[in-house]
Amino acid sequence: MKLITHNFLSSKCMKGVNVGFPLKISASDVKVTEVDFNPEFVARIMQKIDYPALYTATESIGHLEDLPKQMVENYENDEHFLKKVHHALLQLEVINGELICPETGRKFPITNGIPNMLLNEDEI
Amino acid sequence: METMSQIKKIERKVKKLQHVVLKETGVTCVAHPTKILAICNAGLVNGLTEEIIVENFKKYGNVNKVCLVPGKSCSFVSYRDLESATMAYNCFNGKLNIAQENKPVYLSFVENLVDFEEEKSWSILPEGLVVLEDFISEKDEETLLELCNFDESCGSMKNRQVKHYGYEFRYDINNVDKDKPLKEKIPMECDFLWTKLNETYFKGFVPNQLTINHYMPGQGIPHHIDTHSAFEDPIMSLSLNSSVIMDFKCDKKHFCVFLPRRSLAIMSGEARYNWTHGITPRKFDVIKSQIGFNTLQRETRVSFTFRRVLQGNCTCRYPFKCDSYAKNNEDKCIEEKVAADLEKTHVHDVYENIANHFSDTRHKPWPNVLEFVQGFQLGSLLVDVGCGNGKYLGHNKNIYEMGCDTSLGLLEVCKNRNFNIFNANCLNIPLKNNIADACISIAVIHHLANDERRLMALKEMARVLTVGGRCLIYVWAKDQKKDNEKSSYIKQDRKNRKAENIEINKNEEEITISENIKLPVHTNRTQFKHKDVLVPWKLKSTEENKQTFLREVVWAEKAVEIRPLETSMHSVFLDFGDFKHRFVAAKARVSLR
Repeated sequence: MKLITHNFLSSKCMKGVNVGFPLKISASDVKVTEVDFNPEFVARIMQKIDYPALYTATESIGHLEDLPKQMVENYENDEHFLKKVHHALLQLEVINGELICPETGRKFPITNGIPNMLLNEDEI
Repeated sequence: METMSQIKKIERKVKKLQHVVLKETGVTCVAHPTKILAICNAGLVNGLTEEIIVENFKKYGNVNKVCLVPGKSCSFVSYRDLESATMAYNCFNGKLNIAQENKPVYLSFVENLVDFEEEKSWSILPEGLVVLEDFISEKDEETLLELCNFDESCGSMKNRQVKHYGYEFRYDINNVDKDKPLKEKIPMECDFLWTKLNETYFKGFVPNQLTINHYMPGQGIPHHIDTHSAFEDPIMSLSLNSSVIMDFKCDKKHFCVFLPRRSLAIMSGEARYNWTHGITPRKFDVIKSQIGFNTLQRETRVSFTFRRVLQGNCTCRYPFKCDSYAKNNEDKCIEEKVAADLEKTHVHDVYENIANHFSDTRHKPWPNVLEFVQGFQLGSLLVDVGCGNGKYLGHNKNIYEMGCDTSLGLLEVCKNRNFNIFNANCLNIPLKNNIADACISIAVIHHLANDERRLMALKEMARVLTVGGRCLIYVWAKDQKKDNEKSSYIKQDRKNRKAENIEINKNEEEITISENIKLPVHTNRTQFKHKDVLVPWKLKSTEENKQTFLREVVWAEKAVEIRPLETSMHSVFLDFGDFKHRFVAAKARVSLR
């Protein structure tokens, strides 16, 4: 699971959960892969990204490196910043671990890079 | 004589109330006499009614309009001439005790009536209603009235007394006990009525059920449609001993129909099946004629309602008002729990079992879907709901794609191909609202077991889509022919390629799903015969004789057209370019939840 995917995931479909975002990550196995850098793509997708959630996620899996805490202004042309974001969003991948619902504490296992977000009938 | 101080007091009261009228209705009070009077301190909210107004105000002339504004404590009455209005003003202002707790009303002249028009019509009858005036003579009326002495043996309703002949109409189940006819049949004294019908369109109507209702002045009957499945068409009602206004309503139409004493009202077609009818509980009826409003005091009214008990189901053209139709649909609908189990056994588990084989046979993407996916610009987000082996992922390098599926087996295939995926059900997509520019769901929704769940899946997709996002959905089409040509699905079976129709009529196999649900098994490469079917899946290798069944619902063209609309997706457009699977694309501008 890439952190970009994590930035869109929510447990809001569960009974009694309102926002269900951001899910906490408890990672036991993180992989870093090389992905081609396309600054324009990153700049565009950034419009959809919840930056504080990305920052926390990156921090929680121990790969914060030099990702700034605050989003840089006019980042569209800041290739340096976009590259860091690119790394966090697309190159970091949680292989094994858990996603945790911030409201109920329900755990969703991540196995072999696939988060299991299936809910039981009594949870919906 | 009023003293000066009394006049002053009334003036002060009126002055205050004029502000209220302006505030509540926007109508300005004037000092000079006009034809219209505002009753400043009494209206619908404090129990004032049309008939009380008419009954009192008609004394001074022809009332041509009464206006009671819903939820307001003032009302208006309009005369044909100035003189009447002036007279009523002088005599009633501060003196007529019809306001709350029998307090006096305060009046004021106004230039205009409030801009509110209740859609009530007096001179029109609903389609299918006929009122035959003077249907019986006074002597006949007397005979019929003698038939029923309302004693303790009669049922007493909240607002009226009732007695049944032939069959009992049970108000608890809103239907008749069709297999328990009553000993007491319709009295012979009524027989002459049917000969009278011989000159009418309703010649030959002989009822087997009679309900006699006994209404005291002030009593009425709530709005209702006679249960469709209980009675045939038409329904006839004879009014005895008193005339009454019966209200007929349908959508926003409201017709007040005058049923004179000794008339026969016949309801058929639309009036019987689609319009409600009822009697307002009041002692006076308001009647509108050409000269204006009048009131009519009600006497004790006895109505004879004649009906024929319906055997079998109602086949009317008004499904939304029909209990037979509703019941039929309910039976068809697979219950939630059964639906979930069905999907587990016949969809999720099956895909898990056939994942590898399925993936091997599903590699060629359909061009329409490819075109859709490739149409999104740089930085767009696409969600593939029910992505399977990821056949439609990875075809547009400019966008970020996520796929989800219930089958872990298929997701592992995706994972090996480096796609971004998660394990989820299309009924609960674990994503935030308003994020996806594109959503595709190819051959997925037909696996869901009932309409509610299919709709739920569409709503979920609509939820995750951004405003202006686009969604592409494919489902199996029931009709595998277009312009008389067989689809490629059918043609894939060699013997079906010939021109003549060679669909084999095998004995149909059925598989029991639960206590009352059996699903037919579809014969592959043939036209679908049923909407809900099990589709056999044969594994090539060793287990040749072990068949697995994938459950699918095939959508008639119509179903596909309707459903996306129900999710409140705007600008839904359909393109049936490919007839193996129907194509539904929706531009969604939605903000559900």
